[in-house]
Amino acid sequence: MKVTYNWLKAYVDFSWSPEELTDRLTMLGLEVEGVQKLGGEFAGIVVAQVLSRDKHPNADKLSVCRVNDGQTERQIVCGAQNFQAGDKVPLIVPGASLPLKPGEKDPFTIKIGKIRGVESQGMMCSGRELGLSEDHEGLLLLRADARVGQPFAEYLGRPAGDVVYDLEITPNRPDLNSVIGIAREIAAATGHLLRLPELPAATGSAPAAAPSATESSLAVDIREPEWCGRYVARIVLGVQIGPSPDWLRATLEKVGVRSINNVVDATNYVMLESGQPLHAFDYHLLAKGPGGKPTVVVRRAAAGENFATLDGQSRTLTSEMLLIADETKGIALAGVMGGQNTEIQNSTKDVLIESAWFQPQNIRRTSKQLGLRSESSYRFERGADIEMADWASRRCAQLILETAGGSLLPGVVDVCPRPFTPRSIELRHSKVTALLGAEVPVERQIQILSSLGLAEDPANRTPQAARFSVPSWRVDLKREVDLIEEVARLDGVDRIPSSTPRGAIGVNAFDGVYDQIGEARRVLAALGLFEAQGQTLISEEAARIAVDSARLILLANPLSADMNALRPSLLPGLLDSLQHNLRRRNEAVALFEIGRVFLQSAEGRREERRLALALTGPRHPTFWAGENRDAKMDIYDLKGSLDEFLDQFGVRGVSYLRRPQPGNLLLESAAIQLGGRLELGELGQLQPALARRYDLRDPVFVAELNLDQLIARRNAGHSFKALPQFPGIRRDLAMLVNEEVAHAMVLQSVKQAKPANLEAVELFDVFRGKNVPAGQKSVAYAFTYRHAERTLTDAEVNAAHEKLVAHLREHLPAVIRES
Amino acid sequence: MSLLDDIEPMKQSALAELKAATDQAALEQAKGAWIGPHGKFTAFMKQLGSLPKEDRPAAGKLINSAKAELEAVLAAQRDQLELQAALPLEPTDFTLPGRRRPVGKLHPLTQVTDEIVRAFRKIGFAVADGPEIEDDYHCFDSLNTPADHPARDTQDTFYLAEATNGGPTGNAAGAGPARRAAGGGLLRTHTSSVQIRVMESQPPPVRIIAPGRVYRRDNADATHNPTFHQIEGLYVDKNVTASDLKGTVEFVFKELMGSDVQVRFRPHYFSYTEPSFEIDFSSALVKKMGKDWLELAGCGMVHPQVFENVGWDPEIWTGWAFGFGIERIAMIRFGITDIRLFYENDLRFLNQF
Repeated sequence: MKVTYNWLKAYVDFSWSPEELTDRLTMLGLEVEGVQKLGGEFAGIVVAQVLSRDKHPNADKLSVCRVNDGQTERQIVCGAQNFQAGDKVPLIVPGASLPLKPGEKDPFTIKIGKIRGVESQGMMCSGRELGLSEDHEGLLLLRADARVGQPFAEYLGRPAGDVVYDLEITPNRPDLNSVIGIAREIAAATGHLLRLPELPAATGSAPAAAPSATESSLAVDIREPEWCGRYVARIVLGVQIGPSPDWLRATLEKVGVRSINNVVDATNYVMLESGQPLHAFDYHLLAKGPGGKPTVVVRRAAAGENFATLDGQSRTLTSEMLLIADETKGIALAGVMGGQNTEIQNSTKDVLIESAWFQPQNIRRTSKQLGLRSESSYRFERGADIEMADWASRRCAQLILETAGGSLLPGVVDVCPRPFTPRSIELRHSKVTALLGAEVPVERQIQILSSLGLAEDPANRTPQAARFSVPSWRVDLKREVDLIEEVARLDGVDRIPSSTPRGAIGVNAFDGVYDQIGEARRVLAALGLFEAQGQTLISEEAARIAVDSARLILLANPLSADMNALRPSLLPGLLDSLQHNLRRRNEAVALFEIGRVFLQSAEGRREERRLALALTGPRHPTFWAGENRDAKMDIYDLKGSLDEFLDQFGVRGVSYLRRPQPGNLLLESAAIQLGGRLELGELGQLQPALARRYDLRDPVFVAELNLDQLIARRNAGHSFKALPQFPGIRRDLAMLVNEEVAHAMVLQSVKQAKPANLEAVELFDVFRGKNVPAGQKSVAYAFTYRHAERTLTDAEVNAAHEKLVAHLREHLPAVIRES
Repeated sequence: MSLLDDIEPMKQSALAELKAATDQAALEQAKGAWIGPHGKFTAFMKQLGSLPKEDRPAAGKLINSAKAELEAVLAAQRDQLELQAALPLEPTDFTLPGRRRPVGKLHPLTQVTDEIVRAFRKIGFAVADGPEIEDDYHCFDSLNTPADHPARDTQDTFYLAEATNGGPTGNAAGAGPARRAAGGGLLRTHTSSVQIRVMESQPPPVRIIAPGRVYRRDNADATHNPTFHQIEGLYVDKNVTASDLKGTVEFVFKELMGSDVQVRFRPHYFSYTEPSFEIDFSSALVKKMGKDWLELAGCGMVHPQVFENVGWDPEIWTGWAFGFGIERIAMIRFGITDIRLFYENDLRFLNQF
């Protein structure tokens, strides 16, 4: 909603400067989103006449002049040569500033000062000083008929200064979508009176036996009283359509409304002024019924009915839309937009003014379904003031008469199936303090609410409570707490004190989970991985690299095909991030993300927390010497990060099951399992074709795990185990095994052999090549034996170790390599 | 007495030879030649027995002190040579870059979220959570925003398509880590839905904060991303007032933005709070941006209708709630000018925080 400083001043007195008004409105809850100053750039500059010009006593090139500024005579010292006594010139008075020049920060402000010993009380200006021309040869000489004392802006024909405020009106306050509504707030805040324009006494409102002239010329038939609570019609005869007078045009243009013609402008002006949308029809374009009298029918549109709105569009309506019609055709889409067929034209003579109240929900639905929004629908869908309809109609008629001439037909047709009954709300004074934590005296509470137009019923007053009836424009006030808000707002939200935090200790089941997620993040970052945050919304195409279509959750109303699916996996997002980095030549990229994924399953939609890793590029940061410094990351870099993470996070017993075939996403991969059954996730190398699609040249390694499961299965507890007191004895063993013998199988076999006092097994070499037959590999393990209470003897260790070696030889099977 | 007179010259020769050694091998050889088992000085000591008994103590004393001196020099010389041998051939250039052991970093949004959470936990808040796939009831209706309410205008909502495989779209009661969404399905437009989830699941009093992702149908630009993060706070107890709300908000923003921060409340409208406020803050940083106040958060006293919706008596319980955008805080804190940077995960960006 746009409103100007001067327009508000027409309805209420206030002494706030334009800047102060910004602050006051903001603190009343009308957030000022923009302030635009109009005109006023020549403030303090007037037309003046040079009365005399004498040489300066102390300077050859200066003169001392007597100048009349319309109010007084001033002495001015001047350096220009191009003028003489009698000339009219622009004069800037002390305290005023010259217009800002491009690049200037602070304006140049004129002061009373002495020039070469002679006082100068202002300055006569050149065109250049005023920013009007490049001419700085001398003073700007004005026309001889210029009026002395006239503001210079007025002399130039420029509008007087005003300030336009662009206000954010919250949806609960439709009454503030009007100048009067905003003025009412200012009136309440200042304690000054709200001044509404004076209207001529309503004609024909007194009940009379005979129908009024208006009633004889028009009937109104409301067939949907639920949707149309009131319909006020007035007729102005004999108007002359033409351009609006300057004041009307200027007022509308300042607040961004295009001027059309005097009648349409009058309806728009009154809508902005009162908040009541109005529509003007060409009376003669309505179909006449029997006796030459048209009937305005407020009815549902027929399903599929076509209607051409003012904007030239033909629209197909549904039976849930309200139409203003005559007896043969629709003439306006109720509350949203008028029709082309009854539009005011230059030839229009007689005007029907509609001022109605429509149900907000219905207008909102219609406007949404048609994708058609207007200033009118905006106001109706938020809730217009049903009591304002007649006032606005009369005000509009007044303005039409003033700007387009004609005569108002006596009387009115005012059909009101939904008469207004004010809501009554009790305010318990103690509740104000209880909710705000601020003491507001009872008298002040009552005074604030009264100043907002709430009528207090003294009969219902007790020391504890007061009862108020809510005016028709305050559709937002529904219960006690709403009144408390009004008290807080007008008393000043800044008057609510701050009290130190106190009270209950928070409890929530998720609190601990939050910390566990944080712990996972910190471990991963310590491992050298950077945390990423990917988009939740990704393309269906990208989502399908991770799961089947059947498991995807799609948006019904996506913004674009790039963002039409909820991520079913964190991996597509991480691939996007890898691509983004590599395109920018960040070559070594190790990322992790912790976030939610969304999956469709037979039981419904599921949200799951996941943890994902992605690595590509050089293994080490750039270094200037050494072997292997150019090594790229491989699957064991990923596996190592995962091993370390799982250890640190306290998840034990994880196994890896290699998948025999490549999949859509991964070339070579393994399922990550817990306890041999529960699938936690997967890891592997990205399919080369996919890597190419994402412009990833080095091999890419990714893993994804179900974080909810990791948290549920972790054992984060730590208990102290005494440090070994006795030395361990190490035996190394190198053996040849078949390729199919996995490390896990060796460990399994060792476990089965149950060697006495074996403390640890560590793999330290895997070798293929020289002296190793094809299809086999050489693996070397270190076995550490230790007893907690004594030093083991060689003989004991040898016995156990030999038993182990024999077991491995037989069961793996393995050929022991002699060292 | 020739034996005694020989001690000093012999010691001098031995010292000269030890000191002349330029490497360990030469030193060991010199040691062997003089004070080793077959060394000249050792042999010399053995002649001590041949001296007359009365001369022996004086001679022994002289010889021992000479031997001690030789051994001291030997040790010193050994250390010296060892030191020299240990030095690399070329001097180390300490200005060369070292071999880095890089650590990763937490995402700036995580860092800011953690800081906010830390501040609230100091004053007794627990962290809560709720689903991101929500239903109309929890996202709007229960928050006093019915379908035709104009307030829904300000939040453009993503709705989910019906399941393509004909499977049910929800309502399998969701407990435990993997939650299931109920109803037709939309992406929550604010974390305020967690207020309702929490009040449905635990009795008052309540003191929680809930950080998380929310979704709005805004095209991405420098200040919008369809996905972003909010944090919600809710405090319900007996005798909770707007004054508590102010005090808490001031505490938290001073913790987050520095003690020079000023906080201002301004009347506003949210359908689920009454009265409602917007919170502005001001600081040296804001002034530097050429502004007096910067909008930071929305808040208010929980609307009695919201309490009634979860079956709590608004005559007994009062409370307040607030919500704000985490990206916005992070952008102000770090001077980030484009929200999209948070979701690109450019290492040059991530590395700065």
